[in-house]
Amino acid sequence: MTELAHTVRGVDHAAFPTYDAKATVHFYRDVLGFPVVHATCALGWGPGQHPDFIHFFFDIGQGDRLAFFHYFGIERYEDPHIPDLLKRARHLAIHVDTEDDLIEYRRRLDASDHPCELQVRHETVESIYVTDPNGYLIEFTRPLRAITAEDDIDANLSVDALVEVVDEDQPSLQRFFEIKARLIAERYADEPTEASFV
Amino acid sequence: MTVALYILNIEDFRPLAETAARNTDVTVVLRGPYYEVASELPFRIDRDATGCRNAIWYSAVAGVAHGTIENWDGKELRIVPTAVGE
Repeated sequence: MTELAHTVRGVDHAAFPTYDAKATVHFYRDVLGFPVVHATCALGWGPGQHPDFIHFFFDIGQGDRLAFFHYFGIERYEDPHIPDLLKRARHLAIHVDTEDDLIEYRRRLDASDHPCELQVRHETVESIYVTDPNGYLIEFTRPLRAITAEDDIDANLSVDALVEVVDEDQPSLQRFFEIKARLIAERYADEPTEASFV
Repeated sequence: MTVALYILNIEDFRPLAETAARNTDVTVVLRGPYYEVASELPFRIDRDATGCRNAIWYSAVAGVAHGTIENWDGKELRIVPTAVGE
């Protein structure tokens, strides 16, 4: 367990490059209704091949911001070899509080050129997904239930088991479950209590 | 050996422990915040009997000691004890 003070306060901004500033502004400002809250217009400030850029920011709630860089004078670069798994794994999830909010963002997306691609009820959240004009996967998610102390305990044991299993010669989910079971049994080695389902 | 399946004791996952407990080969106790579902014989938990939706069903296992998950699909979760000597 860590003794380090935890004083960070969420996301200040997450920043990504864009090769289509016009579509990006349209999508985030006009389709989703995210206010533009800041833009740094830098002449000759950037290094080397991209000295001039615009760094522009959208408010994504609670003062958190999603930012993009538009670089002048550079060509679009796309890596055709990035596996789809990695493209889907790298995503930004934006929080909404209620089902009504989620439905409203879905409505805005479905009325645009970027309709919702997937709606899923996960374990603790319900999410909608869309690919933005830059090819970035964006998720909107709302809580289905409160996260409990038990969830946090379980998450920590999962991470401990993960850190242990990846050091093995042949890591697998079965081995992960074995290790985590051992950690559970060690931590709660006292006499068990009777389970009741009444 | 006696296999032990651990399931976190929260409302979402409780139907799995409850369904497993109906099997007379199985004993279910609480170990800390987990259900410990133990059996000397292979046992299965029927998905339909739990009523769990997909995401809950596929995230319900916390751990398995002295055995393996032989099958975990849309219909059942089947747990098998490690054979003595393995």
